[in-house]
Amino acid sequence: MGRSATKPLTLGETLGYGAIGLIVFFGVWSLLSFSGAVPRQFLPAPHELAARFFDLLTTPFAGATLPRHLASSFFRFGCGFLLGAAVGIPLGLLMGWSRTLDEIVTPVFDALRFIAPIAWVPFAALWFGTGLGGPILIIFAGAFPPCLINAYRGARFVGRPLVEAAQMLGTGNLRIIVEVLLPASTASIIAGLRVSAGLGWQSLIGAELIVASAGIGFMMVQAQLNISTATVMSGMVAIGLVGLLIDVALRSLEAEVRRRGLA
Amino acid sequence: MAAITFEAVGKTFRRAGADVPAVERVDLAVAEKEFVAVVGPSGCGKTTCLRLAAGFEFPTAGFVKVDGRPVTAPGPDRAVVFQQFALFPWKTVFDNIALGPRNKGVPKAERQERVTRLIALMNLQGYEGAFPHELSGGMQQRVAIARAYVLDPDVLLMDEPFGALDAQTRVMMQEELVRLARINPRTVLFITHSVEEAVYLADRVAVMTRRPGRIKEIVDVGSVRLADKWGTYERIEDVMDLESFVHLRTRIWRSLREEKSVDGQ
Amino acid sequence: MGRRSIIGFATLATLAAAWYLATVPLALISPGRFPSPLDVWVSLRQVAIRGYANGVLHDHVVHSLKLVALGFAVAAMTGVPLGLLMGWSRRAEALINPVFLVIRPIPPLAWIPLTILWLGLGDAAKVLVIWFAAFVPATINSFTGVRSIDPAVVEASRMLGTPLRRFIPEVLVPAAGPMIFTGLRLSLQASWTTLVAAELVGALYGLGRVLNVAQQDIYPGMIFVGMACVAVLGWATTRVIAEVERRAMPWVQIAGS
Repeated sequence: MGRSATKPLTLGETLGYGAIGLIVFFGVWSLLSFSGAVPRQFLPAPHELAARFFDLLTTPFAGATLPRHLASSFFRFGCGFLLGAAVGIPLGLLMGWSRTLDEIVTPVFDALRFIAPIAWVPFAALWFGTGLGGPILIIFAGAFPPCLINAYRGARFVGRPLVEAAQMLGTGNLRIIVEVLLPASTASIIAGLRVSAGLGWQSLIGAELIVASAGIGFMMVQAQLNISTATVMSGMVAIGLVGLLIDVALRSLEAEVRRRGLA
Repeated sequence: MAAITFEAVGKTFRRAGADVPAVERVDLAVAEKEFVAVVGPSGCGKTTCLRLAAGFEFPTAGFVKVDGRPVTAPGPDRAVVFQQFALFPWKTVFDNIALGPRNKGVPKAERQERVTRLIALMNLQGYEGAFPHELSGGMQQRVAIARAYVLDPDVLLMDEPFGALDAQTRVMMQEELVRLARINPRTVLFITHSVEEAVYLADRVAVMTRRPGRIKEIVDVGSVRLADKWGTYERIEDVMDLESFVHLRTRIWRSLREEKSVDGQ
Repeated sequence: MGRRSIIGFATLATLAAAWYLATVPLALISPGRFPSPLDVWVSLRQVAIRGYANGVLHDHVVHSLKLVALGFAVAAMTGVPLGLLMGWSRRAEALINPVFLVIRPIPPLAWIPLTILWLGLGDAAKVLVIWFAAFVPATINSFTGVRSIDPAVVEASRMLGTPLRRFIPEVLVPAAGPMIFTGLRLSLQASWTTLVAAELVGALYGLGRVLNVAQQDIYPGMIFVGMACVAVLGWATTRVIAEVERRAMPWVQIAGS
C-alpha cells in the first residue's frame, strides 16, 4: 500500500491509538448496556457476552454446544466449497483454453451471475427439504463463480503466452493443460479460492438462517426467537472467528505457493 | 529571482531499521538566474538534493536556503517539474495549469489571460480541454512545464524532466527549454542522467560522487558557450558537433566514470 | 453480429428449448420441482396483475428497491468519508482499525437475527442490516483508493500551494475515485444480497417475501419469477452505477472487464 500524507506512526503510537479505539468502543458499549439506555435484554454488556460465549462452548443450546453447531456448519460448508472448486476450476481452465467452450458457457454464466446465492434457497428447500443437498446447493452457488472466473482469467491471460510456447515446442494437448496451464494459473486460482471461501461461508450462514435445522445459523434463529441476545451475538462471534480462520488458512496457502515459486 | 544555497547539507534516511545516508556535506550555490545542472551516478542523491530544495524532505545536517531563508515547506515559489509529470489526470490541460494561480488568489480574468499565454508559449493551443491521458508524453511534460512557469516562480526545480520521454521528443524539449530560458531566464536547478543534456542546457554543471553524494567538481560551461557562441546555432546537433562541446562532455564523462568504476558497476 | 454473440444466442436458445421439452411434452421434470415456461408465464401474470403475497409485483419491487436505495445511500455517505479519512490520516487509521477488524469478519447476513431482535421484522431492521453489509466494502475501498494515490500528484499539489479545503474535493477525492466506485459497486451487490436474505427470513413485503411465500406454497413458477426479478434488478442497479461512474469520471479509460 502506498503512503498516506501524514508521517507513518511508530509501533508504540499505532498500538496506543488502537488501544484507545478499542477502549472507546467497548466503553460506549458497556455504557449503553449498563445505563439501561438500551434494555439489558437487547444489549448484554461485553463481559456478559464473553461469559455466555464460553458457557456455550460446553452447555448445549438448541440441541448442541456451540462447537458442535460450528462443526456441523463447517462440514456442510466444506462439501459445498469443495464441490464448487472441483467443478469451477477445471471448467474455468478449459474455458480459458478453448475459445469455443468460452463462447458457449459465458452467456449462460452471465445470465445466472446476477442471482444472489441466497435466492436459491426456496428451490433448495423445495428440492432437498432439510437435507444436506439444500445448503450444498447454496454454498455451491456462492463458491462456484469466483473459482470459475479466476481459473478462467489465470488460464486466459497468464497461461496463453506460455501455452503458445509449449505448442511451438510440440507439446501434446493434455500435457499442456496439466503441465503448463494449471501451474501458470495457480496464483489466480488460489486468489479465487479465497474469495470463494468467503462467499461460500456467508451463503451458508444465510441459508441456515432461513431453512434451519442444524448448524450455527439454526442456533442463532432459535436464540433470536428465545430473545437470548447474548447467544445470538456469541454465534456472530463464532461465525466471524471461523471465517477469519478459513481466510488465514488460505492466505498462508497462497504465501506458501508463492514462496515455492509455483506462482 | 532568488538564489539557492546548500550549506554542508547532509540527509540520512531510515530504511528498515538502518540509517542510509543519501547525501553528505553538499556545498552548492546556485546564483540568481543561473542554470545549474547536477549529474551523478545512479543513487548518488541528486534527486534528494532537489527534493530538499523543494521542501519535500528536510536535511539531517546543514541548511538548504532559498533567497537566504531556510526551506520549510513546498510552495509555488519553488516550482517543481517531475520526471513522471505528476499532472492531475482528472483535470483538463487548462485546469491543470490554472490550479497554481487559483491557489494564489489570482482573479479569474487575469488567470485566464496568464494560462492562455502559457499555453501559447508551450505550443499547446487547441488542447486546453484535453485530459492528460489523451496527450503524448512530450505534450504532458509541456503542460507540466507550463504549470510551473505560470507561477512565475523564483526558482525552477526540474527532476530529470525529460527522462520519461523517447529520444527524439527529448531533443525537441531540450531545444525548447533553451528557447524558454532565453525569453524568460530564471534560477534553475536541473537534475539529469545525461551529460550531453547538462552541457547543452546549463551555465554550470555539478558532478556528484557516488552515494553518499558530495559535490565532486563544478564545471563552468557558460563561459565556453559565450566564447564559442553556441547560441548562434539553432539546432542541437550543430552545437553537439562543436569541439568545445565535445571537450566539455568528455571531461565530465570521465569524471563520472571514476565514480562508477569505484563502485564496481 | 459477431461470432461470439451468435454462439451465445444459440446456446441460450438451445437451453430454452431443452427447458420446454423437459417440462412439457417429455415431462422429465415434475411440475412440483421446476416450472415449465408456461408455469412461469402464468405466475408472472398473476403476481403482476392480481398480486401475490400481499401485493402486486410493482409494489414488491418498489418496496425492495426503496430499502436497498436507502441502506446503500447511508452506507455510502458514512463509509466513503470514513475510508478516505482512514486512508489519509495514519492516526485515524490506527484509532479505528482495531474496531474495524473486530466487526469485519462477521458476515453481513449474520447480523440479521440481531437486527430482528432489536427492530423486529419491519423496514428499519432491513435498512440497518443493509447498512452493515454495504458499509464495509465502501470503507475499505475508499481507504485503498487514498493509499494508492500517486505520491507525486500529492507533492505536486503541495508545491502548487493547494489549501486543504481545495485539496480534498479537487485532488483527494478524484484521485481515489476509481477505487471509491469499485467499493460502491461491491456495496450495492452486498445490499441486494442482504436485502433478499433479510426478506426471506421474515418480511411483509418485498421480493424476498414473494420467494418465501412461494416456497411455502410449493409454487415453483412463482419462485422462478422471484429469482428472475432479483437477477434483473441486480443487473439493472449495477448498470446504473456503471453509468454514474462513467459520467463522474470522464478521464478514466475503463479497460475491458
